[in-house]
Amino acid sequence: MKKGQIDFQFFIIVMALLAIGLIMVFSSSSEAARHDFGDAFHFIKKQLLWAVISFIAMMTLSKIDYHKFSKFAFPILVFAGFLLVLVLIIGQELNGGKRWINLGFSTFQPSEVAKIAIIIFFSNSLAKNPKILDKFLTGLMPYLAILGAFAALLMKEPHLSGTVVIVAIGGVILFAAGAKIPHLALLGVPTAAAGALLVMTSEYRMKRVTAFLDPFADKMDGGWQIIQSLYAIGSGSVFGVGLGRSRQKFLYIPEPHNDFIFSILCEELGFVGALIVILLFAALIWRGIRIAMKAPDRFGSLMAVGITTLVAVQVIINIAVVTSSMPVTGMPLPFFSYGGTALFAVMCCMGIMLNISRQSKA
Amino acid sequence: MSVSKMRMQLNRRMYFILGVCVILLFLLILRTGYLQIVSGHELSKQASEQQTRDRIVNSKRGTILDRNGKQLAVSVPVETVTVAPTQINANADKVAIEMVATGLSQILGLEYQFVYDKLTKPQAYEILKRKIEKDEADKVREFIVANKVLGVNLDADTKRVYPYGSLASHVIGFTGLDNQGLEGVESVFDKNLKGSPGRIVSAKTAAGTDMPFKYEKFVDPKDGLNVVLTIDETIQRFVEKHLETALIENKLLNGAACIVLDPKTGEILAMSTKPDYDLNNPFYVESEDIRKQIELLPADQRTAKKEEELRKIWRNKAVVDSYEPGSTFKIFTSAMALEENVVKLNDTFYCGGSVRVANHNIRCWKSGGHGHQNFVEGVQNSCNPVFIEIGSRVGTEKFRGYFEGFGFTQKTGIELPGEAPGIFHNKAVFNEVELATSSFGQSFQITPLQMISAIGAVANDGKLMRPHLVKQLTDVNGNIVTEYGSEFVRQVISKETSETLCSILETVVSEGTGSGAYIKGFRLAGKTGTSEKLPRGNGKYIASFAALAPADDPQVVCLVILDEPSAGLYYGGQIASPVVRSIMDDTLNYLGIEPAYTPEEKATLESAVPNVAGKAVADAKNIIKNSNLKVVVEGGGEKVLSQMPKGGVKVNQQSTITLYTEAKTAPTMTVVPNALQMSVVDASKAVSQANLNVKIIGAGSSPAGGGLVSYKQTPLAGTSVEIGTVVTVEFRRIDAGE
Repeated sequence: MKKGQIDFQFFIIVMALLAIGLIMVFSSSSEAARHDFGDAFHFIKKQLLWAVISFIAMMTLSKIDYHKFSKFAFPILVFAGFLLVLVLIIGQELNGGKRWINLGFSTFQPSEVAKIAIIIFFSNSLAKNPKILDKFLTGLMPYLAILGAFAALLMKEPHLSGTVVIVAIGGVILFAAGAKIPHLALLGVPTAAAGALLVMTSEYRMKRVTAFLDPFADKMDGGWQIIQSLYAIGSGSVFGVGLGRSRQKFLYIPEPHNDFIFSILCEELGFVGALIVILLFAALIWRGIRIAMKAPDRFGSLMAVGITTLVAVQVIINIAVVTSSMPVTGMPLPFFSYGGTALFAVMCCMGIMLNISRQSKA
Repeated sequence: MSVSKMRMQLNRRMYFILGVCVILLFLLILRTGYLQIVSGHELSKQASEQQTRDRIVNSKRGTILDRNGKQLAVSVPVETVTVAPTQINANADKVAIEMVATGLSQILGLEYQFVYDKLTKPQAYEILKRKIEKDEADKVREFIVANKVLGVNLDADTKRVYPYGSLASHVIGFTGLDNQGLEGVESVFDKNLKGSPGRIVSAKTAAGTDMPFKYEKFVDPKDGLNVVLTIDETIQRFVEKHLETALIENKLLNGAACIVLDPKTGEILAMSTKPDYDLNNPFYVESEDIRKQIELLPADQRTAKKEEELRKIWRNKAVVDSYEPGSTFKIFTSAMALEENVVKLNDTFYCGGSVRVANHNIRCWKSGGHGHQNFVEGVQNSCNPVFIEIGSRVGTEKFRGYFEGFGFTQKTGIELPGEAPGIFHNKAVFNEVELATSSFGQSFQITPLQMISAIGAVANDGKLMRPHLVKQLTDVNGNIVTEYGSEFVRQVISKETSETLCSILETVVSEGTGSGAYIKGFRLAGKTGTSEKLPRGNGKYIASFAALAPADDPQVVCLVILDEPSAGLYYGGQIASPVVRSIMDDTLNYLGIEPAYTPEEKATLESAVPNVAGKAVADAKNIIKNSNLKVVVEGGGEKVLSQMPKGGVKVNQQSTITLYTEAKTAPTMTVVPNALQMSVVDASKAVSQANLNVKIIGAGSSPAGGGLVSYKQTPLAGTSVEIGTVVTVEFRRIDAGE
C-alpha cells in the first residue's frame, strides 16, 4: 500500500462536524435527559464515549488498506442479510418498528451494517466486472435484486429512512459505475409507482405526507413534530437565541437530540450556524467526491462515492424533513443525531475515506 | 470501453452526483434562510405564545372613603379559576379530563357539561369561575394537588365590597366583573382607582412546568389610589333615613332626591336618590312586580327590558334628572331684584289671585289671592304676582344674566356620570310671558344639583362655589396625591343682598309657607316649591324644599325633592319641609352647631329629665321642679325606686314625671290616645289627659300656630304604655301651599 498523507481538509471537516455535533447533542438533550432520567448529562456521556471509540475506529481504519475489504465483500453482505432477518425475529420494538438489536451493552441497527455491506460489495463487484452493467438482465438486475431484497427486509421492520438510504447508495454506486441511463429510467418508473403505492396503502405514511403539506392543519396530531421544528427554526432568526438557550427543546420537540437536532441548532445558533453546518457538509461531500476521483482504482472510487452518498443522502433528507420540505421520515443527521452505533458506523466509513485519500493519485 | 474512457465516464458521473448534492444543499440553505429570516418573526411569535405563560397580576383597586375615613367601597381578595385547555389536553387523556371535569363541577357547583366543554376548547386560556371565596378556592387547590392536575389555575383576583350596602349607592356606583367602574364615582374615577395591572411572563415547558432559566419578565402592579369623598357617612345616613320615610309616607311614584352641601366650600356632604339599590348586588331588580314583568316577556326581550329597568334604578336623580323648580326659584328672583335695587323690603304689592301679562292670565297658587302685602310677606306667601312684578322690574336681559350667573345654564362639572345641563328659553323667545313664568320658577328646567349650588351661593355671601364630591386622592399609605380644593366660580350677588335674602328666607320658615321646617334654636331659612309636571293638569307634582342654616352664618344647605306624591298632599310646604327639618335637625346637631334660642323659644324649650332614682323623695321633687317639670309621687316610700320617663329623656317643659317609691309588680299602664289630625293644643290635651307626656315636633315658633295639623305620632294610638311615657307628635301645615 502506498503510504501517503490523508486528505487533511476532509479530516478537519469531519472533526469539526463531530465537535459541533457533540455540542449540539449536549445542548439539545440536557432537558429531556433531566426530565426523563434526572441527569442532564445522561445522553452526552454515552455519546462522548461512543465518539472516542468511533474516533479510534476511524483512525485505525485510515491505516488499514481498503483493498483488504475486497476479500470480505461477500461475507459482509451475507452477514448483513442475516442481521436484517434476525432483527425481524429478535429485534426490539420501538416507536412502532423492529429496528434494533440489543447487544447487552448497546443496541445497534442492522441497517447500519447493511449500508456498509452494500457499499463494499457493490464497489468491489463492480470494480472487478467493469462492463457487467452494459447488460440489463445479467448485469444490472442481480444488483437490483440484492438491493430489492435488502429494501424489502428493511420495509418489513419497517424502516423507511433506512430503505431510502440503502436504495440511494446502491443506486448512486450503480449510476457511478456506469449503469445505462435507459436502464435506470426503466427502473425509476416502477420504483416511483411502488413508492406511491406504499404511501397510499398505509394510513400512517399517508398522514405523514399530508402533515408535510400543511403541518398547521393538524396541530395536535400529525403536524405536531413538524410545527415544533418550524417554531424552533423560526425562533432562531439570523443569529439564534444563543447556545444552550433553546426553548423548543423543553419537551416541545420530542427527543430533540435525535432527528430534529438540526432544528435546535437553527434555534440556538440561527441562520448563521445553520449555514456554517450545511456548508461544512457541502465541503465534506465535495472532498468526498474529490477523494473518489483521485482514488487509485475503481474499487476505491466507487467506495468513496458510496460513502459520500451515504452521508449526503442522510444530510439532505434530514434537513429537508426538519424544514418541512418533504414528508417526515425518521432520518438521523450524521455526526449530530444522538446514537452511538450510527456515529460509529459513519466514523468507520470516514476512516475508510481517509485511507482511500491516503492512497490517492498525485 | 477503454479504461481511460471508463474513468472519464466515472468522473463525469461523480461530478453529476456532486452537482445534484450541491444544488439540493443550496435549496435547503434557501429554505432554512426563508424560515428563519422571512417567516422567523411569525414563527417565533407563535412559538413564544406556546412557550410563555402570561399572567396578569391585578392591581388592588383603591378604596372609596367618606370624608372621615369610613370605608364605603373596598376590594377584598378572591380567586378566579382559570384553565389552560391546550395544556390539559397535552397532558391528559379523555378519561382523565372527564375526571377533572367531574371534580371541578362538583366543587364549584357548575354544570358538568359546561366544565367539560371549557376543558376541551382549543384555547390556551378559559375562565371557569370568577371570584370564588377562599374556602372554595382551597377545595380546588386540594383537588389539583391530590390528582396532579396540570392546567387548572387559581388566579388572584379581587371583589368589590360595599360595607354600607345601599348607602350613597348613586354616588359611589359599582364595578363590573373585571373590576371596572360602571357607575358613579367608581366609573368617573376608574382610572385612578384601578391602578395598573402587573404582568408575569414566564417560560414554560411543554409539560407546563417553568423553564429553568431567566425568561421571566415581571411588571409590578401599581395599586389604585383611594378616593376620599366629601360625603359624610353620618349625614348621608340621616338623609337616607328621612328620605326613605318620605318616599313611603307620600307614596312617591317617581322617587325622591336630596343633596346636602357645605356652601362655603361647595363640598357635597350627602347626596341621595330614592329608591336606591344594593351596591353589593347592583344587577338585581328588587321590585318583585318588575321582575315578574320581565319574566313574562319573550326570552329575546328580557335582557333589554332588564337593562332598561336597571338603568332606571341606577339613575341619579339629583344630577341627571332636570325638573321645573317652581317656587324655590323665587329665591333667585328675589336675589336679582334686591341686587338690582328694584325692590325694597316694604314695597307693597297686591295679589288678586291672578295677573295679566301680555294678554295671558297668570294665576297665583292661592286662588283667592293674597291681597295687600309687602315684599317680605310676598316671599313668605310665595305669591306669584309679586314675583311676576319684580321679575319684570329686573327685565329679560338682567334676568338671563343672573340666571346664567347662578349657574343654571351649565353643567356644574360634578364628578358623576350623566349630568344634565338644564333647559332654558332661547334668547330670541325670552319675552314678557316667559319672563313672568320664569320669575316664579316655571317654564324651564334645572337639575337639583344646579339648584343646591345656586342656593349655596345665596348662603355663601353671594359666592358661587363649584359643587364637588371628591376631596382628595390618596395612595396606599394614605398620603395625599391630589387635593381637590374648593373652587370659587363667581360672585353672583353682593354680600349685603345675600344677608338680606337669608333673613327674609328665615321668616319664610318662622312665619311663612315653610314653617313645617322650623327647628327651635337653629335659624333655618328656606323656600318651598311645588311644580306641576308636564303636561299640566295631570295631577302629578314635584314638591320640594330648599333650606339653609343657620340663617346668620349658613353652614349647611339642603334640598329635598319629592317626585309625584300620591298619598294626598303634594305641596312642598306640606310634605317636603318636614323632611328637610328632620335632616337639618340631625345634621346641625351632628355638626355641633350651637343652638341659639330666641326668648320665645326658650319658654317652650324641652328639658332633659333629671335622673332621681335612689334619691329621697323630697330631694327628688325639688330637683324635678327646678327643671321646670311637674312631679307626681306614687306610693308611700321614702326613696325613689324608679321614675317615668327615665332620666335623660327630653320632654316639653311642664311635663309630668312620675316617681315610684314602692316596689310594685307591674307599672301602671295606659293606652295611647289618638293625637292625629289635631291642632297642637288639641293633641297636647289628648295626650296629657291620658297621663302621658307630649313632645311636639314641627310646630314652628308659635306652639299654637294656625294651620298646623298632626300627621304622625309614636307610639301609635291604642298602644299600651306605662304612664308618663313620651308621645311624640309631628305636625305639618295643611293650609300652606307653595
